[in-house]
Amino acid sequence: MRNDPLDRALREASIPVPAEAERRGLAVVEAAYAERGHGEPASAIRRPSLPRLAIALGLVTLLAAVLLSPAGAAVRDWVAEVADSSTPRPEPSLAEIPGGGRLLVQSDAGPWVVKADGSRRLLGDYEETTWSPRGLYVAATENRSLSAVEPGGTPHWSITAPGRVSDPRWSPSRYRIAYRSGASLRVVAADGSGDKFLDDDLAPVAPAWSPLGTAEVAYLDASGFLWITDSDSGEHLVSAPAGTDIRQLEWGAHGSAILEIGREALRLLEVQPLKIAARPGIEFLRDLPLPPETTVVDAALAPQRQVVAAVLTTWRKSGTRSSIVLFGPRRTKPRRLLSVPGSLGEVVWSPDGKRLLVAWPGADQWLFLPVGRGEPRAIGHIAGVFAPGDRHASFPRVEGWCCRR
Amino acid sequence: METESGAIERLAGGEPDSLRQERRLVREAQAGSGAAMARLYTAHWRSAYRAAYLIVHDAAAAEDVAQDSFLAAVNALDRFDRRRPFGPWLHRIVVNRALDWARREALRRRVAREKSVFEPLPAPEEIGGEMIAALKELPAEQRAVVVLRHLLEYTPGEIAEMLELPRGTVNSRLRRGLDRLRETAVGELETEAGR
Repeated sequence: MRNDPLDRALREASIPVPAEAERRGLAVVEAAYAERGHGEPASAIRRPSLPRLAIALGLVTLLAAVLLSPAGAAVRDWVAEVADSSTPRPEPSLAEIPGGGRLLVQSDAGPWVVKADGSRRLLGDYEETTWSPRGLYVAATENRSLSAVEPGGTPHWSITAPGRVSDPRWSPSRYRIAYRSGASLRVVAADGSGDKFLDDDLAPVAPAWSPLGTAEVAYLDASGFLWITDSDSGEHLVSAPAGTDIRQLEWGAHGSAILEIGREALRLLEVQPLKIAARPGIEFLRDLPLPPETTVVDAALAPQRQVVAAVLTTWRKSGTRSSIVLFGPRRTKPRRLLSVPGSLGEVVWSPDGKRLLVAWPGADQWLFLPVGRGEPRAIGHIAGVFAPGDRHASFPRVEGWCCRR
Repeated sequence: METESGAIERLAGGEPDSLRQERRLVREAQAGSGAAMARLYTAHWRSAYRAAYLIVHDAAAAEDVAQDSFLAAVNALDRFDRRRPFGPWLHRIVVNRALDWARREALRRRVAREKSVFEPLPAPEEIGGEMIAALKELPAEQRAVVVLRHLLEYTPGEIAEMLELPRGTVNSRLRRGLDRLRETAVGELETEAGR
């Protein structure tokens, strides 16, 4: 061993280790190893020694205690079913998008459009992107500019905003794009004309358009209120206190529900849209039930249905586990589609609402999970696909799956 | 939070007796032995965690990086060429994932500073030691090369192979990193670049 002062400093420096980190990791790795499809081979099976037997009995006792405890019962009762906890064997390359459609994927290199056959094109040097409703254009941001770009990469128009542009959202009507400029909310017509200020002092959360194709847009202000504003007239129609630590808003289910996605809660609000009532109203509907000590990684409302898909992560002594869970429209028990060791990323609905795409950065995979019938599929080696020549690139993020025919 | 200190061997923790023994563990793990997999984990977790920590400087993130790296290793175990040593293969995964995290975190902090109407989160707590504090100030790419060279004791040629970089790039990152450490830390480092 060398005795360089830096070697010594790096070897001997006191660094913090989270309690039980090594054991927690071992439990996760052992679970992943077991799920990989190997048991002990016949030649390796031996009669368990006394300590092993004792450990096994201890684990059984511990499991029983956990399930019989109030917290354990809460976990046990929480889900209606576990469809299948095994992950599919990953396909080696992105040769097609299961279920078809096109994906918008943000990588270190920039945004990519991925076609149904897996072919892909880098759009350019943009920071954030979103599909237009029919997938004819992509709204893309870069510093203070907002652009409309064809999926082939040809820029259509570009405007410069007063502040840094973020979170563009194209309205379902196709006629407007809402975006944040610094802490302000602005709206521009889809041909790049009529850019105007709507509100300021926003929280760093993307606005959400009414799915009915009307001019209402919902957003969160920095003081914790949810607002719905008419983007044509600029009139603030209604506001209501929002939940805490909201990271994302989704307005779906034919305009009748807004989902507030927080770090530790999923809150469903009922909306009476303008088409029905003289003015929209917002009423708290319910919190979606989450098991104890759960973090919400991501969630998304299904197109055309009041079904929420959520990626939840739970820290336990046995290690981190992540699940993909479906919440139905009424107070039915949530349904867990899959549970894996480690962390999952974002969840995106297919345009027809029949599949989910779930990012699994730790395994370098995308999971395609059918909500009804069908086989789950996994596609591996995703990071390298979107970072040609850069083996150290971050795992890419799926920004959208387009489009309903 | 516990504190871990003390020397780390090239193959840390419950170190296999020899590369031959490690090869045997890999072969058994590939054949389905959970016990062999657990021994590989125990042998390498501490060095993986320490390397990750010295790149990301965040205990929770280092734990995630170490865990995700082992999961990636489990997933790719069938494809692993067992004639090669397991440690460098794992360290390559660890360092690349730690670099991923460090870059994402830098971007997140930059975006949060520019976008957020709230105060940015405080930086993770400082760890002890002037040298370690100085290491934290290096760009992630230089930090990774320094950790591979001076903690895990790989040669610049091995580092170049692991990170898929030209050897000259490794040497220059190492030299720049050590120069900056010398300026900001103790001035007693002996330059190892190119050795």
